Amino acid sequence: MADARAMHPSLEIIEANPEANRRLLTGLADWCDRYTPLVALDGDDGLFLDITGCAHLFGGEEKMMEDILSPLLAQGFDARAGLASCPGAAWAAARFLSPSVIPPGGEADALAPLPLSALRIDPDSRAGLESVGLHTAGAILDAPRIPLARRFGADLMRRLDQALGRSEEPISPRLPVPPLSAERQLAEPVATAEDIESLTHMLAVTLRQDLERRGEGADALQLSLFRVDGAVHRHVIRTSLPLREPGLIRNLFHEKLAATGDEVDAGYGFELVRLSVLKASPFAVEQVDLAGESAEGEEGLALFADRVRARLGGNALMQPAPIESHIPERAVRMVPFAVSDKTTLARKKAPPADAPANLGRPIRLFSRPEPVEVIAAEVPEGPPLHFRWRRAMYHVARSEGPERLAPEWWREADNAPTRDYFRVEDAEGRRFWLYRQGLYGAAEEMPRWFMHGIFP
Amino acid sequence: MARTAMAQETICALRRKIARIEGTLPERLAAPDEGDGLVLRRGISATRQAAASAFLETGVSGLDAALAGGLPRAALTEIHGKETRDAGAAAGFVLALVALLRKSGSQGRNAVCWIGTMDLFREAGCPYAPGLEKLFGLSPDNLLFSPVEHLADALWVAEEAARLKDFSAVILELRGNPARLDLTATRRLHRRAQEIGRPVFLLREAALAEPTAAPVRLQVSAAPASPRSTLAGPLEDAIGHPAFTVVIGKSRTALPGQFVLEWNSDAFTFHEIRPARSRALVPASGHRPHLPATGGAIVALRPAGKVSAPSDQPPRKERPAHRRSRRAS
Repeated sequence: MADARAMHPSLEIIEANPEANRRLLTGLADWCDRYTPLVALDGDDGLFLDITGCAHLFGGEEKMMEDILSPLLAQGFDARAGLASCPGAAWAAARFLSPSVIPPGGEADALAPLPLSALRIDPDSRAGLESVGLHTAGAILDAPRIPLARRFGADLMRRLDQALGRSEEPISPRLPVPPLSAERQLAEPVATAEDIESLTHMLAVTLRQDLERRGEGADALQLSLFRVDGAVHRHVIRTSLPLREPGLIRNLFHEKLAATGDEVDAGYGFELVRLSVLKASPFAVEQVDLAGESAEGEEGLALFADRVRARLGGNALMQPAPIESHIPERAVRMVPFAVSDKTTLARKKAPPADAPANLGRPIRLFSRPEPVEVIAAEVPEGPPLHFRWRRAMYHVARSEGPERLAPEWWREADNAPTRDYFRVEDAEGRRFWLYRQGLYGAAEEMPRWFMHGIFP
Repeated sequence: MARTAMAQETICALRRKIARIEGTLPERLAAPDEGDGLVLRRGISATRQAAASAFLETGVSGLDAALAGGLPRAALTEIHGKETRDAGAAAGFVLALVALLRKSGSQGRNAVCWIGTMDLFREAGCPYAPGLEKLFGLSPDNLLFSPVEHLADALWVAEEAARLKDFSAVILELRGNPARLDLTATRRLHRRAQEIGRPVFLLREAALAEPTAAPVRLQVSAAPASPRSTLAGPLEDAIGHPAFTVVIGKSRTALPGQFVLEWNSDAFTFHEIRPARSRALVPASGHRPHLPATGGAIVALRPAGKVSAPSDQPPRKERPAHRRSRRAS
C-alpha cells in the first residue's frame, strides 16, 4: 500500500467493510426475489438464482438475464451473469463468460478454454495442476480421472462433476420458499395504503382458489412490497385459526399497515406486490346450521386476537398458564393467547398450581418484588408493625402468617434464603402480601422485606 | 277509548325509546298508569322484564335500591380507585362484579378481557391467576390479559373487545387523567357496550372524577375486613373475606351514598357489613352520605386554593377548583 501511495499520492484508501458488503448483497438478494423465490447467497460476492420455470415469465432466458443485469449496471454495479443448467457451470459462465447462456449439454465445450479457477477448486490443487502444465479446464476435463483423484483428492473430482452437471449440487435458498404465493407486477407504482390493501384483497382472492383446492387455510401470511428503488418491505401476520377469506386477510393487513404506517416509506412507490402463504394447515369446513348460529364465537375471538396481534405485536394478548412451581412468581407464566385445542388440552393436563386450595394468594402480583423498609416488628420472626413502601408509611392493623416458602433447591444455590410470607392489613383496610427474605441470625446479612402483591 | 289506548302505547313506546337513548331507567318515565288497557299493561310488564335483565344486582339491597335496580349491564361503568395502592381493592371490586355477572350469565365462553397500559401494570401489579381463581372463580383459561404500550392502543383493543360476544365483561384499566380519555372516547366505549349488551368496566386508578359518558361511577377503596369466621366463632386478628367501601360518585338515579360491602368468595355474593370496629375513617352511620369523594390523592401537599366542599354537595362544584389547582401546580 505504501508503494501504491508513492505512485499515486491522491489515492483514497477505504477500509474493506465486510459487514456492509454483506448487507448490500442481502439487499440485492431481496431485490432478486422478484425473479424467483429461490435466491441463495454465494460466498461474499455472488448470488445464485434458481430460475427453473420462471424464465418464460420474463420473455425467455436471455431477456431475463438482460432484465436482471440492466438495472444493476445502471446503478453502477459491475454485475456479471451466467446462465447454465447446473450451478457449477453457471458460476463459471458468470465470472468468465458474462453475459452468456450455456445450453444444456454444452458445458464441456464452454468450459474448456477457461482457466482452472473457473472450476472452483482450492488454490493448492490449482497450483499443483498448473505446475504440471495443466492451465485450462479443458486440459483436465478429459484427463483420466483415477490418477487425478489419487493425486489431488476427491474434491477436485467433485468440483469437476458439478461444473459439468454430472452431479447434483443443491443451492440453499436464503428464505424459505412459501408453499403458495400470488403476485402482481404493476406498470404504475402504488404508494398509498388503500391501494396496497385493495391489491392485497385481489391477491387473496387468487390465493383462496389455491387454498380451497388444497383444502387448507393460511396460518401465516407474508406481504412483500418491492419498492421501485429495490428495497423490499415484508409484513408477516399470523393467525389463530386457518384463514382463507380475502376480506379478513385484507383486514389483518390493514391493521398491520396501520400499526407500521409511519415506518413504511413508500418512496417512489411499490412496483410489485406479492402475497405468500408461509404456513398452511388443513381447513376444517363446518356446516352452518339453518339458524345460522354456527360456532361463530370461537372464530370471533380468534379474529379479535389476530387483529390485536397484527397491530400490536405477539405479546399484546396474553393468557396465564399455570406451571408446577410453588414460588409465586413462577407458578404462572403469561403465554400468548392461542385458540387451538391442543394447547388447551395440554393446559388441562397440567396439575393446578397451589394444590392446597385454601392458600391465600393476591390478585395482583408485582412482576418484581419491591423492597420495603420495615421500621419495627413485634418479634424478629413475626410480621412488621410499621413499614414504609414507596415512601409512604403503613401501620399494620392485623396480619396473618407466616407462610414459609423454601427456594427451589434444584434450581437455585444451596444457601438461597427462604421467604416468609405475611398477609397484612393496614389501618385503612388495604391488604398486602409481604415477605421477609431470609431468617434472622441465619446469615451475616440482615433479612430484607419485600412487597409482592396486593389483595382486594 | 281504543284511540286513547293506542295513543298511550305510542307515547310509552316513544318514552322507552327516549329512555334507552338517554340511558335512564324506563320504568321511571313510563310511569305505570294502572287501570288502562290491557295493551298498556303488557307493555309495562315487558318493560319490567327488560329492566330486570338490564341491571346487574349486587345483592345488597341498599346499594341496589340506590342505583335503582343495580348496575347497568349494557353500559360503561367507571370504577375509581383513589390511589394506585388501592388498585387491589378497585380491581377486586370489579372482578367481584364480573364474578356475579358470570354466575348469573349465560353459557358460552364467559371470558374476561383485561386491558391496560404496561406502565400501570408495572406500577400496580399484574393480574395473578391463582388469586383470581380462588377469590373470583376466574380460571386462567377465561382470562385474556392485554398489556399494551400506549393509551391509544389500549382504547382500540377495548373497543374491539367490547364488540365481541365472547367476553362476559371487558375491563379497561387506566391510570390518572389522560387527555385522550375524553367524552368522545368513553362515549364510543359506552355505545359498544350498549350494542353488544355486555358491560365495559373502566377501572381508573388515581384519577380525578371527570365528565365521561359512563352513567354510573363508583369510588372503591379498601375497608377493614371482618375477622375470619371459623367453626369456633370469629377468629380475632385474622383477615376474613375482602371488604370494600363503595361510594356512589355519579348516578342518574342515586344520591351520593356510601356502602361497605364484603365479598364472600365461597358463595360469590356481596353482603353489606356495618363496621364492627369503629375506626376514624369509617363514619359511624352507614346511611349518612359520606363526605363527597374528592378524587385524586393528596399525599403531602394540599393544593393551593382548594375549598373543602360542604358535605352534601355533588362534586360538580369542586371540579373547577381541582382544575385550577392542577394547572397552577
